[in-house]
Formats: sequence, structure tokens, C-alpha cells
Amino acid sequence: MISRRRVGVASAVVAGGLAVAGLLGLATGPAPISPGDVVAALVGQARSDLAATVVLELRLPRVLLAALAGGGLAVAGAAFQALTRNPLADPAVLGVAGGAALGAVLGHLGGLGGSFAATLGISAAAFAGALVAATAVYLIATAGGSLPVQTLLLAGVITGLFFSAVITLVVSLVDFAQLGGILHWLMGSLGVVGYRGVAVVAAGTLVGTALVYAQARALNLLALGEESALQLGVEAERVKRVVFVAASLLTGVIVAQTGPIGFVGLIVPHGVRLVVGADNRLLLPVVAGAGATFLVLADTLARLVVQPAELPVGVVTAFCGAPFFVYLLRTRLRRRLV
Amino acid sequence: MTAASTGWGSRIALAVTLALAGLTAWSPAGTAGEVTDMLGRRLRIPDRAARIVSLAPSITETVYVLGDGERLVGVTDYCDYPPEATRKPRVGGISTPSFEAILSLRPDLVVATSESNYAEHVERLTSLGLPVYVIRPVDFETTLESIERVGEVLGRAAAARARVVAMRRDADAIARAVAGAPRPRVLYVVWPNPLIAPGRGTLITELIERAGGESVTRAEPLPYPRLSLETVVERRPDRIIVGRHGQATVEELLRGWERLGSISAAREGRVYGVDGDLVHRPGPRMIEALRALARVIHPERVP
Amino acid sequence: MAGTMPPVFAARDVEFGYGGAFRLAGASFDVAAGEILGLVGPNSSGKTTLLRLLSKVHVPDRGEIRFRGTPIGAVGRLALAREVAVVPQEEQLAFSVSVEELVLMGRYPRGRGRLFEAAEDLARARDAMTLAGVLDLGDQPVDALAGGERQRALLARALAQEPGVLLLDEPTSHLDLLHQRHLVGLLRRLNQERGMTVVFVSHDLNLAGELADRLLLLSGGRVVRLGTPHEVLDEAVLEQAYGCPVWVERLAPSGRPVVLGVRL
Repeated sequence: MISRRRVGVASAVVAGGLAVAGLLGLATGPAPISPGDVVAALVGQARSDLAATVVLELRLPRVLLAALAGGGLAVAGAAFQALTRNPLADPAVLGVAGGAALGAVLGHLGGLGGSFAATLGISAAAFAGALVAATAVYLIATAGGSLPVQTLLLAGVITGLFFSAVITLVVSLVDFAQLGGILHWLMGSLGVVGYRGVAVVAAGTLVGTALVYAQARALNLLALGEESALQLGVEAERVKRVVFVAASLLTGVIVAQTGPIGFVGLIVPHGVRLVVGADNRLLLPVVAGAGATFLVLADTLARLVVQPAELPVGVVTAFCGAPFFVYLLRTRLRRRLV
Repeated sequence: MTAASTGWGSRIALAVTLALAGLTAWSPAGTAGEVTDMLGRRLRIPDRAARIVSLAPSITETVYVLGDGERLVGVTDYCDYPPEATRKPRVGGISTPSFEAILSLRPDLVVATSESNYAEHVERLTSLGLPVYVIRPVDFETTLESIERVGEVLGRAAAARARVVAMRRDADAIARAVAGAPRPRVLYVVWPNPLIAPGRGTLITELIERAGGESVTRAEPLPYPRLSLETVVERRPDRIIVGRHGQATVEELLRGWERLGSISAAREGRVYGVDGDLVHRPGPRMIEALRALARVIHPERVP
Repeated sequence: MAGTMPPVFAARDVEFGYGGAFRLAGASFDVAAGEILGLVGPNSSGKTTLLRLLSKVHVPDRGEIRFRGTPIGAVGRLALAREVAVVPQEEQLAFSVSVEELVLMGRYPRGRGRLFEAAEDLARARDAMTLAGVLDLGDQPVDALAGGERQRALLARALAQEPGVLLLDEPTSHLDLLHQRHLVGLLRRLNQERGMTVVFVSHDLNLAGELADRLLLLSGGRVVRLGTPHEVLDEAVLEQAYGCPVWVERLAPSGRPVVLGVRL
């Protein structure tokens, strides 16, 4: 039986792993700052202005954003997988991240600027885009009445392609100068965001994760199929709506700041499920911690490989994620066919 | 309908340009140490910046041409002229600079351009406490202004003004040489595949006009539109000029165009390559770019 | 006694259809408290649809179903799940769970608002597993079980809901003769000792006749006959429902009807 205690212990373990990864991320970068100086800067005893600025203004918000985005995307992935009863679902595969990206692009072009309101507005636009995409995927996939794996993936691919086509349309119609960092942002990057963006992502991620976690037990029952869930007393439609909106919120606020980062939402929940099982009450906290750790490490790698230039972090996650996805698809399809 | 809206568009663009020009021209010089950059941003810079980071090749070239190369402590991966610039510490790409690499160089001034660098990056560097001076070289005049501005910021105003006077003089000489000659229709290829050409209001379009040609893409509303080959055929350019980067030959760049026999330029071999780095960088070598274009457009008048 | 207590279910002129076809076309019947009712009839006669209507998975297009006197639409889903438990014929699990985890899911309607089960939930789940004979399978993943074991695990989950009414869809379809006997014995015991109302769907007319107090014979979405096994397992009645001649013998001395098969 899953007890509070077991969830607490597991959460503490992943939090410890995340702390180690975070320290590694804080200690890595082109500026020569010793680990001791990093720690000194963290506790407010910086030994130089450079160390203080680099650690507190550049590396820390970046590590925090990576942790929040990784954790949030992984939780969103686990939520979409539970909702669709399909371990191949995630915000990117379902085209929801594409919808969020389009929303953010339109938000950028609509009200570009550095104000806090603009940051919020772009996040809201991305959230709206994510909701539109998620709804579209759902309507396409359930048009036949049921929700088979292939139909869902196909619907996600179609939606994703459509939204990326719209983004391409917008990008080719708009003056390059006005696009600004959008092109770079579209590749997925954690670099430009300061504490303002971190705060918005933190708020959205916290709310979204809490909403999903409150439905953790109901989601377990949904895995039995909608009919059985209803017969066990689950208000299936309401649960699905809440989790749907929460997962779109997570995707929206994160994509608005980081751009689309693929595969985190796919491979983290699946890998964690192999270790701790499918019970969402234990799965979700471990997924959050593991996703955060994964993206912090991936971003550290992205900063390291071609110093002082940087790889888009999505490149690193894709290099880890794509082979894993193919492996999942093969084993999953084999099981279905036999 | 289309003609009318295009007309309005150009009028609005002109009005905006005039307004911006007015704003920048009339902005007060500010107190000692405080300056206003070409975007109208006010910032405080040291009297004599000694540790400068350049975020674009054209800026690096400007600093060197003013004789201040030793004050540069960081350049981008693309800053390759003059050759000694390649020995400077790198801060990453134009669109992917590393903030940490920039900070660790402890610069007292960062110079960026609105035409290549991202506004978000400028904003972020500013929030990290660095003075970031932004130039905005969009056409011939603003490129000259950018050189003067960089000169002022470096405390080299007199040298920069002298440089600009010389550049104007050279440009006028070329204008006189090509004056009165028939104006060939020119297609300038910024990028061959997909085909990208210079549109309205860009420096390249203006350089082609000043070199005595008429750009077939000069009325395109977007600065750097992506065009179809069909458009090229239909506009019947007399000359095709390709901006080359690196080692690729014009033939390699325009592979597949030879079947476009209906273009007289392609049929009769009036396809030329110019150094893309020269033409695409709005910096002190702009006159060399102008001369290279004029030589191709009017070889009989410009030796 | 039956006169003062409302029937567990009262269906009046219930019509329901989807996919363009009628599954039920005007069914009316009562399920009395404490009775065992068998739902029988040919394929796609509406038996499983009826179970879904009684467990509020479907809502009737026309007509009305009352649960203990209240229109079923007004009974909350959780409240209904505390009273009515369903043993599905089969379940396609999206993710792997153990038998114990599956049975603990039956405690969901009892642990309202709680994210985690309490010790009492585990005790009730263990009781249910003991009753269904799956206690020693607790750690096994459900998808690794044989068909009969899985069916018993689903029964344990339903019993963990501590329901007053048990709905079963083809509960013996995967069971061998010994386990069929166990199940029939268990259902009888629950019925007699705890007054549990049982509604089950079965293809096996003899087993249905043996277990049920009354049989509801459906055909083409209509009620052909509702009555004692004696009344329903009749050659004329069955021929009307199944559309072919059926051979029924009556065993002496009780006169219990036994369906021997189709008359060829």
C-alpha cells in the first residue's frame, strides 16, 4: 500500500539527487569560479563581484528554471499519460507544446516588452494555446468514439505539425528585427530568463502540480478505464477536465519561458514508472524530482559542450529522448500485436 | 488596391523613419558619462572604456578601424576581420552569446546592434549591470551615424568623423562615375536556397542604387523576403549578384539556376559573386562593398 | 416486508441506444431487495447495457430508473458506488498494478476526500481478498494472472466496496467447474448472510437457473419474460427469445428445468 510515509521518503531521495545536480549546475560555466567561491556566493559571502553576479544572477535563476521546467514538463507528461491511458503521450507528442509555442509567439509579437505584465501575458497566451491544442487533439482522437493509441498519436502529430506550420507562417510574415529572440527561443533555451520569469514559472508549476496531485488517486482509477472508474465513484469527466487544464497550464507557463523542450515529459515518467510503479501518488512526486534533475543536468551539459557558445537544451534532451522513444514504441507495439 | 496600400505603407514607413531620425538627432547629449544610444536608451558609460565587448562583426571592424582594437576584450565567434580580431577571447555566437563569458571578461562597455542582436539579450545584459550601447545601422546614413556614435562612445569622435567624411567622399565619387549611365536591373542574392533578397529600406538595396543599378526586389515590403524562383524569372534581371560566404563558388551556390534560360543574366553569364561579409556588414567597409557592386554593375565606368 | 421497502432498482420504460442502434427498447422491471436476479438472453440482447444503466455509466434516453426509490440521476456517483459494486467481465489495464493495489481501488468510494488509504481500508481489502480467494496473489501484477484469477480479483475489488448490491457481468466465463461452484456458493452466502442483492449476466442458462431467484430474459432490447427459472426456462419462451427450438427437460422430483441444448 502507498502510504504518506513512503511518498515522503521517496520525495526526500529525489530531492537529494536534485540538490546534487543543482550544485553541479551552479559550479559549471565558462567563468572560472571555484566550487568554494560558488558556495560562498550562495550564502551571501561572495569573494568577488564577478562570482556574486555570475552565481546569483546567471547560474542560479537558470538552474532554478531548469528544475521547475523539467519537473513541470515531466508532471505534465505523466498527467497526459494517465489521462489518455497511453504511455507514449506527452506535451510535445500530443502537440500541446506546439500550441503553447504558437500562443507565446503571438503573445511576443502582440506585446513585446520587458514588463512583468508582458511576462504574464505571454504565459497566459501560451496557456491558451496549450488548451486549444489539447482540446483539438482530444476532439480529433475521440471522433470515432474511443481513443486507440494510434489515433491519439496521429492526432497529436497532426496538431503539432499544424501549429508548427502556423508558427512558420507567422515567422516568415514578420520582419526579422521584430522576431528578436523568438527564433532562438523556438529551439528551447533556458538562458535569457531572469528571476521574473522564474517566479512566473514557479507559480504556474506549483499550481499545476498541486491540481494534478490532488487527483492522483482518481487518476489511478481512470487507468482501469472510464467505465470502471465511474462505477467506483470517480467523477471521470470532472477529473479529466481538471487534469487536462492543469497539464496545459504546466505546459503553457513553461514553454512561454523556455521554448519547446521535447522528450522530458515522455521519458521521465516512463523511466520512473519502471522503478516505482504506476501509482500516481508515488509516481508524481518522484517524476517531478527526476524531471527537474534530468533537465538541470541536460542544461549543464548544453552549456559545457561548445563553450562559450551554448547548445539549445532541447538538443541534449532529444539526443537522450529520441532513442528511448523508439524503444518504447517498438516494445509497446509488439505487446499490442501479439 | 495593392498599389494603394503599398503606397500608404511606404508613406507610413517614411514617417516613422523621419520621426525616429528626429528623435535621435534631437536627443540631448546628456551629462558627463551619460549617453543616449541609437534606440533612445539612456545609459552611463565610463569616460574612457578600456574593456569593450563587441557583439557583432561590424562593430568589431569599426572599433579596429578607429585604431582601438586593443580596447576590445571580447568578440563573437563571427568576428573575423581584421584577422587579428580572431585572436580575441570569444563570447559565443551573435544570437547565442554566453552571458557568463561576457561577465567574466569584466567589460566596462558592451556594444550591440539592433540589426543582429536580440532585444532580450540586450535587456538581460543590462539587468546584469552592464552598460550596453546599441547602434542601429539600417541603411547608408544610419551606418555612417553608427560609426560616428561608436567613435563618440570610444572618445574618438574626431577620428570617426574624419572617417565618415572620407567614406562620403568615396561614395560620391562612385555616384558621379555611374551618373547618367543606364541602370541595369540587378537581382542581389543574400542567400540562394531558399532565395532571400534585400527588400525595401535595406542597406543592400541602397548600395545597389548608389552603384548605379536598380534592384528588382527594392519594393518588397519585408526587409529580407524569401522569394520564389518564378519571381526571379518574371522580374527579368540583367545581372545576378550573389553574396558569397566562405569557399563556395557562384556556380555551386546557384546550382539548378542554369535551366532558367529565359533569364538573360543567367543565359549570357552575367552572374557575379561578391564577398557577402563585405556587403552584409553595415560597417566601415561599406564603401568597399559599394565599389565591388559598382564594378559588377558598371565595369566600364568603375575600374 | 417487501411491501414497505422500495425495490433496489425500479426500471420503467427504459430506452437506450448508441451507434445508431437501440440496445434497450422500453424495458420495465423491478429488482427486489435481497433477491438474486439473473439476466439472460442471446448475444446483444441488451444485458451488459442494462448493467451499465443500473451502475449509472449510461443514462437512459427515455424512461426512468430509480435506486431505492430515488431517481438514479439524483444519486451521487460516490454514494452509488458505496451501495452498488460492479464486477466487469474484463478490464484492459493501462498500467501494471498488483492485485492488492487493484482491490484497494475498491476502497475509493469509502475513503472520500482522502488521498491515501487508512489501515482500515487495507483490512477491508484483505477481507475481500480472502472471500474471493485471492489473498495469496496480493503481490502479483494483475496482467500476469490467468483469466479466472483475474475475475476473482475483480470480485474482491467489488467486495471491498462493501456494497449492498452486486452487479456481475458473466462472472463465470473464465472459471472452471470448481471455481464456478465456489463463486455460486459465495454469492449465495453473501445473499443469505448479508442480505446482499445480486444481479448477474450469464450465458449459462442452467447456472443462471440454479443460482437466481428470478430470471430476466431479454431479446433485441426487449424484456421477453421476467419470472422464476421455472417460468422462464420453458421451451416456448426460450424459442421466442433465441429464435430457434430449444430442448428443456424437467428433472424429477423437483421439476427443475435443465436446458439440454438446441434441437437440431
